[in-house]
Amino acid sequence: MYALAARLGTLLFVAFGLLCHLPVAADSADATPTVLALDHAQWVALPGHGLSVPPPTFDAREPPHNAWRWEDTALPAALRQPASATPMQARAPTDTQTTWLRIAVPATTTLAPGQLALYASHVGTDGTVAIYVDGQLVHRAQPQGMLWNSARKPLWVSLGTPTERTIPREIVIRLEHTTGTQVTLSALRLGQTSELRWRYSWRHWVQQDMPAMFSAFFLAIGIFSLMVWLRRRHEKSYLLFFVLSVLCFIRGLHFYVDMQVGDDWFSWLTVNSIFWLFAVIHLSLGLLHRQRRAWLTLATLCVTAAMAVVTLPLDVNPMLPLSPATMTVIFRVASVLGLSIGVAGMLGARRRSGEAMLVAAGFTACIFMGALDWVLQSNFRHPQSWLAGADNPTLSLAVLGFLFNNLLTFAVFGALITRRYVGALAKVEQANTRLADRLNERESALAHSYAMLREAEQRQTISQERQRLMQDMHDGLGSSLVTALRVVENEQGRNDVAYVAEVLKSCIDDLKLTIDSMEPVEADLLLLLATLRYRLSPRLQRAGIALHWDIADVPRLDWLDPRNALHILRTLQEAFANILKHAHATAVRVGTGVAPGGVTVTVTDNGQGFDVARALRSGGRGLANQQRRASALGGRASWKSGRDGSQMMLWLPIERASA
Amino acid sequence: MQTRTDPSRIRVALVEDDLHFQHAIVSAIAGSTDIHLIGTAGTREKGLQMLSGSPADVLLVDLGLPDGSGIDVIQAAQVRWPQCAVMVNTTFGDEAHVLRSIEAGASGYLLKDSAAATMLQEIRSLHAGGSPISPLIARQILRRFHPGGASATPAGIAPTNKSTPPAAGQGQDLQAQLSVREKEVLEFITKGFTADEIARLMTVSVHTVQTYIRRIYSKLNVHSKAEAIYEARNQGLLRT
Repeated sequence: MYALAARLGTLLFVAFGLLCHLPVAADSADATPTVLALDHAQWVALPGHGLSVPPPTFDAREPPHNAWRWEDTALPAALRQPASATPMQARAPTDTQTTWLRIAVPATTTLAPGQLALYASHVGTDGTVAIYVDGQLVHRAQPQGMLWNSARKPLWVSLGTPTERTIPREIVIRLEHTTGTQVTLSALRLGQTSELRWRYSWRHWVQQDMPAMFSAFFLAIGIFSLMVWLRRRHEKSYLLFFVLSVLCFIRGLHFYVDMQVGDDWFSWLTVNSIFWLFAVIHLSLGLLHRQRRAWLTLATLCVTAAMAVVTLPLDVNPMLPLSPATMTVIFRVASVLGLSIGVAGMLGARRRSGEAMLVAAGFTACIFMGALDWVLQSNFRHPQSWLAGADNPTLSLAVLGFLFNNLLTFAVFGALITRRYVGALAKVEQANTRLADRLNERESALAHSYAMLREAEQRQTISQERQRLMQDMHDGLGSSLVTALRVVENEQGRNDVAYVAEVLKSCIDDLKLTIDSMEPVEADLLLLLATLRYRLSPRLQRAGIALHWDIADVPRLDWLDPRNALHILRTLQEAFANILKHAHATAVRVGTGVAPGGVTVTVTDNGQGFDVARALRSGGRGLANQQRRASALGGRASWKSGRDGSQMMLWLPIERASA
Repeated sequence: MQTRTDPSRIRVALVEDDLHFQHAIVSAIAGSTDIHLIGTAGTREKGLQMLSGSPADVLLVDLGLPDGSGIDVIQAAQVRWPQCAVMVNTTFGDEAHVLRSIEAGASGYLLKDSAAATMLQEIRSLHAGGSPISPLIARQILRRFHPGGASATPAGIAPTNKSTPPAAGQGQDLQAQLSVREKEVLEFITKGFTADEIARLMTVSVHTVQTYIRRIYSKLNVHSKAEAIYEARNQGLLRT
């Protein structure tokens, strides 16, 4: 991501560099036949009296102007009077000079008269500018002195009217400036408005409008960052970024704001915004690589505070006016501070955070570029050969410098923000994918464990059924068959064929009931009783017992599964067996009824009765068995007996907690 | 064993591989005056061959024959001896054997462990138009004709039975539907009432009750045939 930011920044830098060089290149190219390039001038510098209104006319041949000693120079030029005796610091602000430049328009046949214009890419002075064409004052700029954006304003003077027939012969430029400072002038061009206009527009846009746009963009992103911070208070980096963008905006205002350079709040803001910017960047770097260089932080904050106090506007703090001298000192202090912050940031970030490294490196680069900008702004430095080169790269460099600053900052922070935003989106996607994966995983694990559980349940159910059947067969069938075997093997028993037949018959009956119990009865107790009747009828008929079927409808018993069905069948089978064996009855009545919370099944016979208590005690007649089965069902078995007959009552619950 | 045809005597044919049971039938019939045995077969093959002879009034078939299922014999008897009532010999009279046989065309079943007198009684009853039935079989039949339906208890205490998966599947769509009386009979049987008691409860004769049961069985036969056709059509085995 950092590589991307670096590449982006470099690309933009190169692109805009080329873009900005276009007008420069075009400016320095040979003029077309319809545009005259004026690149020679004569100049003289005279002492002045503050900033004065330029005279309406100027004639170099008239006295006192004809006594001046003009010197030749080529344009573009950076002109400075030789150093005077008074040191810079001691000069008063009203100590000014006036520099005059005479440019003769060469005779030409190619330039058609008409709507002409004069264009210069740069006129640099910290005082007033006045333009005379053929002796007449036609244009004034910076009437109160240098404006903040004067250095970036190209010069455009419309000459003549569409009907004029003459071409100007001489152009004179009057520049007022502080004594000892440098004035600069680029090559002039004279030509048709239509031919020249694009140069002016282009340069104006690149030097004024575009920086304004960039500042505005930056501020917009800063406001967005502020919004984000307002929702996420714990991430201070967003707040710092907003502050950064605001400070950059303030810092950049002077590039395109038409305000007078003076010792007022605007100047105070412009100057101090540098220090505030430094402080914020230092804090951001500290935040990014989480290292607190206490001493540097302290130094930064102290210097910033001192500067703020010291450079207060003149009317508030008359102590230290904002003069060129003080500006130089401030600038030096700022450079030192900025560089130390940048270097410290880079050192600290080297191993820790790529983001911080990017910011620190970018910041250091911006310091250098800022120096260039400051140079141009202040005109305070000694001219270097490369600054006053023929192609006037100063301007393009300075503009590039400013643009570079903004672009770099833009690119760096844009990259950071984009990275965060995209990272956040990616994280959400990742999280979603991971969540989906985990969900699938869990689902399949759950399905698997369900399947295993079902299998285990099934196996257990089958095994339980098997055991149940085995138990039943063991208790009834098994023992009966073995009994039959013994009887047959027994000497006596061999004659008692009827007995063996009986035993075998009851075995078959048992088996039939077992099989019947496994048929689904769908919670219908009556069906169970009906089946019992169906199976036992032959026996009862053989014994000559009449059966009265006195049943009534009963509610469903939802717990009637094969196990419980068999219990009921066996219990009642036992009851019938008792009647057949002992009661000597002639009639049996089977009835059903509803009791509180349950249903009742009664088997009443008209036999000889028996002693219930004794039977229960001694365990005869299998009463205990019946009771056991009844309680296994969750019900009760009770008996009543008298001389006229006996009754067995089986109470079964309607609802059972667990089957 | 062919004797002179006596219209007053019930002619019985037997297809059974179990020798002991065969012997029991033979001796039981021998001891009766109104029934006589016109033929026996021990295998499916022989049974089918027997069907090309002169028809019997009652045919006793065992399902578990050594060379195939007695179901084939039952179905063949429907075609060859349409007037013959088929009875299936079963050990337990359980639903699987009985209902399968009835769907194939049988009109009743005979428990193999019955006493001789009972057996003869059953044969006579069958010949007279009655059919044996057990409560569980009755319940199964009800379910086949009304797959999700309840056996509505008159007292109304019991709510609808839980719907069971339909044995026939399309009971409602097929033509053989039980009439109200037939359903009533079946429900009484599931409550344990005998034919006599049902006759009294429904104020009809016992014979009528038995006719109902016979009719129910034939509907089951029709039902299963129709279902087979339906299934075949479904699976594209038949062109409509």
